[in-house]
Amino acid sequence: MSLPSDFFGRIVFILQLYGPSFLSGAGKTMAIAIVGTFIGCIIGFAVGIIQTIPVIKSDNPIKRFLLKLLKFILNVYVEVFRGTPMMVQAMFIFYGSSVLFGINMSTVFAAYFIVSINTGAYMAETVRGGILSIDQGQTEGAKAIGMTHFQTMVNVIMPQALRNIMPQIGNNLIINIKDTCVLSVIGVVELFYATKGVAGAYYTYFEAFGITMVIYFILTFTCSRILRYWEKKMDGPDSYDLATTDTLAYTSGMVKFPDPKEKEDK
Amino acid sequence: MTGEKVLEIHHLSKTFGTNVVLRDIDFSVNAGDVTCIIGASGSGKSTLLRCINLLETPTTGEILYHDVDITDRKMNVPSYRTKVGMVFQSFNLFNNMTVLENCLVGQIKVLKKDKEEARKKAMMYLEKVGMAPYINAKPKQLSGGQKQRVAIARALAMEPEILLFDEPTSALDPQMVGEVLAVMRTLAKEGLTMIIVTHEMAFARDVSSRVVYMAGGVIEEEGAPADIFGNPKKNSTKEFLNRFMQG
Repeated sequence: MSLPSDFFGRIVFILQLYGPSFLSGAGKTMAIAIVGTFIGCIIGFAVGIIQTIPVIKSDNPIKRFLLKLLKFILNVYVEVFRGTPMMVQAMFIFYGSSVLFGINMSTVFAAYFIVSINTGAYMAETVRGGILSIDQGQTEGAKAIGMTHFQTMVNVIMPQALRNIMPQIGNNLIINIKDTCVLSVIGVVELFYATKGVAGAYYTYFEAFGITMVIYFILTFTCSRILRYWEKKMDGPDSYDLATTDTLAYTSGMVKFPDPKEKEDK
Repeated sequence: MTGEKVLEIHHLSKTFGTNVVLRDIDFSVNAGDVTCIIGASGSGKSTLLRCINLLETPTTGEILYHDVDITDRKMNVPSYRTKVGMVFQSFNLFNNMTVLENCLVGQIKVLKKDKEEARKKAMMYLEKVGMAPYINAKPKQLSGGQKQRVAIARALAMEPEILLFDEPTSALDPQMVGEVLAVMRTLAKEGLTMIIVTHEMAFARDVSSRVVYMAGGVIEEEGAPADIFGNPKKNSTKEFLNRFMQG
């Protein structure tokens, strides 16, 4: 089989020959991006919650010191991982772990690990912002019925903060889909690495990377649409049904039907 | 039960930085009392109420709840707050929950009641405030008066011993004020111990068993509503009430 002379012919030729390569590369890219974003979110939520625990003067000194120390360490984590390129972190962690500690990570494990902690650092700030964006009154309302800081966070603040930061989580996922390509430096066979191999075989860089461009765009665009749909679902329905718990309620005039004009506005 | 002292405040003061908001406050509340705290904005009324619920930490002084000092460091604040409920000016309903869930979450998560029992209690109080048909609505879909009535039901569902109201009608239009005050009147009749910070003078006069007038961070005058409104002893009280009655 020889390489066709026209552009589209070459594309079809490459797809026929290397289609599975592209697919497995895209699969790995998505796996790393989704797992990395998911674990990163969990890290981000944990760090974000800890960062917003108030240091109360009346607490005992040891507890206050430990809390401050923990916050300091987490701050260092956030600043270091936000402040250095992921590509450099990948090299540093992958080779450093084997030189310093004798740990031989598989490249795939290293990929999950690096994307997760990197996303975690960004998400920590996002979550902190999300928590700060919730009106103080919500916290007071929760405290007034006797909730602890933890209960307030889990039941009241986080669900609202999560809704507010959904666009940013989507942003992170899309950034991760694209940025996994830097992991090719440690030999992770994701979409970019796979494409390089394909392109080199017949020296068809333009065609191969053309295909890859389209694949990346399809991945990110699909994800952003799915997330948008998910956000809408989180908002719940615009209207509500009046419950008929008490059939006498209607005759005793307790029910006020919502103004139809108001419904139209929404 | 009625007449027993539930809350005693001794020499309470609160400063924000160099700004003294409360100065040497002494007052006590008996079971079944409806105490209305009146006074100009900035006189420290709300801060006093927030200190009682420990949303603000008093700078000095003590607050005794059944003879236990709640400002003590070892005090379990969340469990104290389940006994002293609060209704806010800005409602503070949980926006991520429906009306019913708002009234359930405290009972289930804090008081650890089982769901069926909590639901019954929530429905009972929602019916009392006339909001039972709206259990599936989210707070953003309700009017101000409706939100405040749900907030009252949420506080009642915890079955507190004392209920604090921090200007519950100040964010409402006159018609909604009426529906909220009607609910509060019912509660007062049923003998719930309430401390109410309010600008509704007619309500304070008709419903309360005691009125406290505050100015400049101190209690200027306190007494039966008939005395405070009919025959105030101090000039500052007179002036304040005159301004209100004219306005």
